[in-house]
Amino acid sequence: MSRHQNHRATGLVGLALCAASLLPLSCRQPRKITQPPPDDRHAPYNYVGRRAMVVAAHPLAVEAGLEMLRRGGNAVDGAIATAAALNAAEPFASGIGGGGFMIIHLAREKRTTVINFREKAPQLASPRMFKDRGEEEKEWRTSSGLAVAVPGALAGWDLALRKYGTRTMAEALTGAIAIAEHGFAVSPTFSSINKDEYERLVKNVPEGSCYLNEGLPYEAGERFRNPDLARTLRLVAASGVKEFYQGEIGRKLVAAVQAKGGIMTAEDLASYKALELEPLQGKYKDVTILTAPPPASGGLHLIQFLNIIERWPVRTWGQNSVPYVHHMSEALRFIFADRERYLGDPGFVSVPVHWLISKDYAAAVASRLRDDCPLESYPYAECKQEEKDAANTTHLCVLDGDGNIVALTQSINDFFGTGIVPEGTGFLLNDHMDDFASDEQSINAPGPGHRPVSSMGPLILFRSGRPFLALGSPGGTRIFSSLTQIVLNVTEFGMGLDEAIEAPRFFSFSSGGKPGPIAVEARFPEEVISALRAMGQEVEVREAYDKYFGGAQGIMVLRDKKIIHGGADSRRDGVGAGY
Amino acid sequence: MKKKCMVSAILIGFSWALLTIPARGQETAGIFEQPLLITSAGQNAEVQIVAVLAKRAGLNYTLSKQATAADLENMKTLVLVLGASLKGLGAAGLDMDKERERVMALITAAQKAQVPLLCLHLGGETRRGPQTDDLIAEVLLLAKMVIVVKSGNGDGFFTKLCQPRNIPLVEVEKTADVQIPLQKAFK
Repeated sequence: MSRHQNHRATGLVGLALCAASLLPLSCRQPRKITQPPPDDRHAPYNYVGRRAMVVAAHPLAVEAGLEMLRRGGNAVDGAIATAAALNAAEPFASGIGGGGFMIIHLAREKRTTVINFREKAPQLASPRMFKDRGEEEKEWRTSSGLAVAVPGALAGWDLALRKYGTRTMAEALTGAIAIAEHGFAVSPTFSSINKDEYERLVKNVPEGSCYLNEGLPYEAGERFRNPDLARTLRLVAASGVKEFYQGEIGRKLVAAVQAKGGIMTAEDLASYKALELEPLQGKYKDVTILTAPPPASGGLHLIQFLNIIERWPVRTWGQNSVPYVHHMSEALRFIFADRERYLGDPGFVSVPVHWLISKDYAAAVASRLRDDCPLESYPYAECKQEEKDAANTTHLCVLDGDGNIVALTQSINDFFGTGIVPEGTGFLLNDHMDDFASDEQSINAPGPGHRPVSSMGPLILFRSGRPFLALGSPGGTRIFSSLTQIVLNVTEFGMGLDEAIEAPRFFSFSSGGKPGPIAVEARFPEEVISALRAMGQEVEVREAYDKYFGGAQGIMVLRDKKIIHGGADSRRDGVGAGY
Repeated sequence: MKKKCMVSAILIGFSWALLTIPARGQETAGIFEQPLLITSAGQNAEVQIVAVLAKRAGLNYTLSKQATAADLENMKTLVLVLGASLKGLGAAGLDMDKERERVMALITAAQKAQVPLLCLHLGGETRRGPQTDDLIAEVLLLAKMVIVVKSGNGDGFFTKLCQPRNIPLVEVEKTADVQIPLQKAFK
């Protein structure tokens, strides 16, 4: 058996085990996934529905969302049920100890809105808080109490449900509670991430924590249960989100943060509010893009990127051809400079959003690029921001029978967050303070109540005023690059949704005016890699399906065929289901 | 039904026992001395797991993720945990060339000081790939014994390297199972 076949086999065993774990939920309703996915988990496969669809990074979460829809809930109810279920089924990537952004399209009102439930810095945060402690000590930024920003997930879910949902929080948490209670067989993805983050977990999780199996990482196939989380979610279901922000759970949360040297107070937690915002709008040819505005940066940079790309004959060049990868990598390096220079929390600093997403600005950037070789240097901010390798976060999309759509990205930042679990609660606390810049002069320096710049970018794309694609991805700073490539794969190269998601990806960046290498998946043809190197580009070859590039999920509406396609990324454990 | 279950259990147990037994004539017990220096070859996360297993096994060890020749002082065994992690290398500010240089210098120093080398690979298939395999192929030939988690040797890569050179290779089913052969390997 080849190594690749081996990997597929391991993945299939994992998916089969996950499917077996679905039984407690599935017993209540028959599953109606149209046809079984192919043996090769990486082979493009669109989940098909006629009325509704859920896609997410774990089959149990998809099942929870779909069940909510079957019981008459709308897309918002389904999205919150899925988001909560991910806390139980994919706890290393998101949960009530974190935050995120969601974009909601309301079909009847023909209106789209955004909910920002990004974490915010405690009131005692200050611009020098990183510098004073020595920037070289990276570890405390990701695994101490100081790394924890005030969580926003439950406030965001609650706002969405109250304003646009039809079900209660208690109903939305039902699936998550069942998953946490019954448990499931750990997938190879879960196991490998558990091993990767072992050091942080050993340091922070209490003895006997469910996040390690008798003190060691889980092996694929071993059962993961989280009764503490089930109990916590039951408390929230019974008493509402105030139990989290002002009650016993909140007290435990603040105590855990402070015990690990953090500065969060009960007042920080009690005063947290999710925000409803107007979506940011962009245009690529005949496609209108609606997305979350700053401090989310993924959507903004995607619009910038597409504005630049719009000027190039990408269809003639061909997908992942040498000129395509070269030009796009060069453009990415300019966009990263903008990220360093201009992106912060618009509640506190001025972000030149409209200039950044203007076609004139895109033309100016495109004119500076060379066709034959990389530039010697790129624009930069005086306050350099570090590029991170982390591939965390999660994304889900839900479409209901009325045409309402939700695209939701949420995170606890690094996989397993800080590794800190408030006593007896079963949920992990985020390390999103690490998303602030170290330099006190940076526009993204920490400050009281500030929300750190995020790379998230949940999107809904429209043609002729009608939504046709909902999309999003985890993947840190690779998010907008990966989403752009998927959008181009669909709109320029005529790919089906999952084919577009599974296609090989690349990424580049700049930091402090210096170019980063072009990272490519190992599936890139050797001749493309050689030609890029011959042009003077440094190329770094990563795994064939590398979660470094994200784990995108999307829903595409094919109106001419009267069907819906769900696409879910095999770089993680993405799946979909529809009816 | 009960009988079938018992037979299956015995067969599984027997197979596991067979897997953890190296080829005849290869000694795997009491061949190393303490204290031991544990380091990684590729800045993988498994090095931390090995330290925990060594602690559970009651071994006298020192963990140094970026150990150099100076760390070998007073050490009687060098334990290398194999597997390249781009994330780990990035966090350590290293690339694979620099890491290879460090590892080879460390092994050279160990050989000079007559400190034997024990190699472990715990990451399974996910911790394989061209970069890891190149380094493993170079390092493994210098080992006195090798312990691997079975899923990392699905293609027989470790077997092919160890067998011709008569290097004892112990295969275990999962990470936690490494503790016993690790413990037994030391006096």
